[in-house]
Amino acid sequence: MNKKQTNDYTLALIKGLGHSLWAVLRHAFVKRETVSYPDIKRSLPLRWRGRIVLTRDPDGEERCVACYLCSAVCPVDCIHLQAHQNNDGRRYPETFSIDFSRCIFCGFCEEACPTLAIQLTPDFEMCERHHESLVYEKNQLLIDGQGKHPDYNFYRHAGVAIPGKAIGEAKGDTSPVDRDNNLP
Amino acid sequence: MGTILIDGHIIPFKPGDNILQAALEANLEIPHFCYHAALGSLGACRLCAVEITPKDSSKAPRIAMACLEPLEDGLEVSISAIAAQQVRQHVIEFLMINHPHDCPICDEGGECHLQDMTVACGPPYRRYRGRKRTFSNQNLGPLIHHEMNRCITCYRCTRFYQDYALGNDLGAMRLRNEVYFGRFQDGPLENPFAGNLVEICPTGVFTDAIFRQHFARVWDLKTAPSICPHCSVGCNTLPGARDGTLRRVRNRAHPELNRWFICDRGRYGHQYSEHSARPLAPRASGADTSYHDALTAAASQIKSAQDCIGGLGSAREDLEGNAMLQALLNTLGGIYTAFSDPELETATIAAVSSLQNTGNAPSLAEIELIDAALIIGDLTAYAPMIDLALRQAYRKGAKLALLHSSPTPLAQFATTAMTVSPQEMRTTLSRLYQLINAQSATEDMTETPMTDIVASLMGARKLLLIGAIETLTAQEVPILAKLATALGSDTRLAYAFSGANAYGAALLSPAGSAMVMLEAVEAGQIRILIVAGNDPLGDSRFGPRWRAACRNLSALIVLDCILTATAKAADILFPVAAWTERGGTFINYEGRAQGFAPVFHRPEYLPSVAEVITDLGQYLGHSLQAAPSVLGDIFSDFEIPKPGTTGSLIIAPSLPMPTTPPVHSAQESCSSMWQAALTSWYGDEALASFAPGLMVLIPETVAMIEPTSAIDAGIKNGSQIKLRGSSGSMVLPVQLNQGVATGTIAIARNVLAQLGVGHGDLLELEQVL
Repeated sequence: MNKKQTNDYTLALIKGLGHSLWAVLRHAFVKRETVSYPDIKRSLPLRWRGRIVLTRDPDGEERCVACYLCSAVCPVDCIHLQAHQNNDGRRYPETFSIDFSRCIFCGFCEEACPTLAIQLTPDFEMCERHHESLVYEKNQLLIDGQGKHPDYNFYRHAGVAIPGKAIGEAKGDTSPVDRDNNLP
Repeated sequence: MGTILIDGHIIPFKPGDNILQAALEANLEIPHFCYHAALGSLGACRLCAVEITPKDSSKAPRIAMACLEPLEDGLEVSISAIAAQQVRQHVIEFLMINHPHDCPICDEGGECHLQDMTVACGPPYRRYRGRKRTFSNQNLGPLIHHEMNRCITCYRCTRFYQDYALGNDLGAMRLRNEVYFGRFQDGPLENPFAGNLVEICPTGVFTDAIFRQHFARVWDLKTAPSICPHCSVGCNTLPGARDGTLRRVRNRAHPELNRWFICDRGRYGHQYSEHSARPLAPRASGADTSYHDALTAAASQIKSAQDCIGGLGSAREDLEGNAMLQALLNTLGGIYTAFSDPELETATIAAVSSLQNTGNAPSLAEIELIDAALIIGDLTAYAPMIDLALRQAYRKGAKLALLHSSPTPLAQFATTAMTVSPQEMRTTLSRLYQLINAQSATEDMTETPMTDIVASLMGARKLLLIGAIETLTAQEVPILAKLATALGSDTRLAYAFSGANAYGAALLSPAGSAMVMLEAVEAGQIRILIVAGNDPLGDSRFGPRWRAACRNLSALIVLDCILTATAKAADILFPVAAWTERGGTFINYEGRAQGFAPVFHRPEYLPSVAEVITDLGQYLGHSLQAAPSVLGDIFSDFEIPKPGTTGSLIIAPSLPMPTTPPVHSAQESCSSMWQAALTSWYGDEALASFAPGLMVLIPETVAMIEPTSAIDAGIKNGSQIKLRGSSGSMVLPVQLNQGVATGTIAIARNVLAQLGVGHGDLLELEQVL
């Protein structure tokens, strides 16, 4: 009984070894999966977590409303911003900087962002000669497109008024109550 | 006193409490919105649902609102019961139906009561897919931003504004699920306590419009326990700073002083430290220089002047700075005082002396419990929080008697308000004293308001006599103290001083030294004047004399954090830290020493006054003792109070009542002469007048005259008059106002300064046709 078991085991071992050797031999002749970077660059999936950008809404305005949630959630504290209130009611970051020498590309900021402004892109080539040049300011972060989430405009859902959208004109709002009148 | 059972915990309660109060006292959190310790229960929000197990086991448990349910011994309550949780969840879901999708751009986010309660009780997702009700917003002025969509109808705002602060320009409109909280029309909220709406609103309907301009989330703010520097009440505050700038100030509860609220001057006046013209670099002979060079220049000037030196501290500087300046002057053999106005100095010292003799002033909590008060002057301008405490006393039925020469908001709550011109105040007070001593209220109809006041004062058990020092003279202060003694032992005396540390400054300043110093500067006996946080050149009554006298100086050395007239004229200017940028001690109107901690530091090197004086001493070859030991020498066993504690009454050697004669010689009055009275408003204070947000609200500059005396003089409302004082003249429009005394013109502080007259001085009036 015991002896038969040992024999089966040895047999399986040899069989497996044979398979592995065969696979190695076979792969010596198939098409290569590795490429010689940087001569050849692979296209990465959209959800790759690389360089962080700030996007714009479909109207071309900044999506970031400076809510500070990204800087709050950031585990390495690499995001710093200062909010500014526009006279027209929109809020945007006056300054926004990300220290990419500290960033661990965890993507928490993207998850926390309520306006889909901050997005991680598949770009990871960010070598710099000096540490300071890895601190990206707002003009380096802000792009002209909507990134990977097209068609979302936070201010079309929010209750505040902005130019071109008065109170009561947001998606799913009724027109404002007339406070000087008690009629229904 | 009994006990109840909440979720198995035995909780003691006080009679008259409800379930919510007992639970909160025991640190058991029952979710709630509309209940507030200062405003009581209302039952509007329906969130504090708890389950009560009846004593009769045959009956089913019932759900009740914890804030409305009276307590009885042995009551069994469950917060965690499934039924109660369900009710709370449904309430939150219902409140959130119309709540806008605003959290990322809402200033309340991070400290939002609704956010907390939604996370604590509510459903995680919104099920409602219908359309939301919306409201348009109002412009409520430069201090408060209105975003009505976020309202959950808890009525805290109107309950605070109308019932507690006794304001009348914010209310509830409409009905059903469309109740609107706002003003009848757009416009700034008029109540001087309106800023508390920011804290009392559980959501983001009312937010701080000043903080909004330079917004930061609450978790990013650096905070430390602090004391408000804007008046002598010494409210406890919690300033918040970020990135080397001060962003906002909030209330920090003190059990005896400000418990839940602070005034708008305290909340918004802090922006003086962010003023664009704030001096941040030392300046010597007209050019910016380094701290070292400025000290060297100052030391060489002082050495060359030899013994001819004066030091002017300040009632708005902390105790340490004043004591160090005094110590330096003692070493150098110079004169020290903390007051640039000799009149104010004598009055303040007389007031502190009379407080020491009659027992200390009552705290705000004690003021709220009085039955009657005699108020002299405009408390709303000099101690807004005492005004709020008196409004609470008024709500409980206290009779307020008011003697004033210029309009004051407290007049609308006074049982008897009497306008008295500044120069008649003394005779009026003496007459009151006579009437009280005579014990029998005379039924003389010609003296109706006086006899009414006497009757209300004599009929009360807990009495308060309070005066604003800035509009009192040194002769009136002792009469008020005599009145307090005559009215019996339960009578409390208090004074609203000018300056957060006026009490402490009075303890350090020898009586009469301000006049001695001014005369010495005029005579050229003082060649160097060190001014720490004071503005003698901008003073209304003595400004012209100081300006002339300062031409005799070889050097004017100024230490300040704001660009006053004196700082502009300084030969050597040391910019010093504003109160949030350093630690220190203020002594409030009760004599309570309270410490404040440094909140943050600016990128520039900004030492405190005490530090500059210590360094200056070293450059002069004198090593001064550290501030705590200097203070320990002056006040025996004095320990610097720890910031964040309730503070302790200072034990100081008793001051003698100053016997200096009246400072300004009584001017001959003739028919064309009018008396000037200082009219003030809650934002009128040396520091707060550099806060841009408050400055937008400055009342229009007018000359206020009582209607009948205006008619007698043939002056019409809105006509232009020319006022002439000792150092200048000014043309102003006339506003007729019942709150001004007969023969008196009430004008603002800056007009007084320009005319070179003080409160009670005479003015010439000329009609401009």
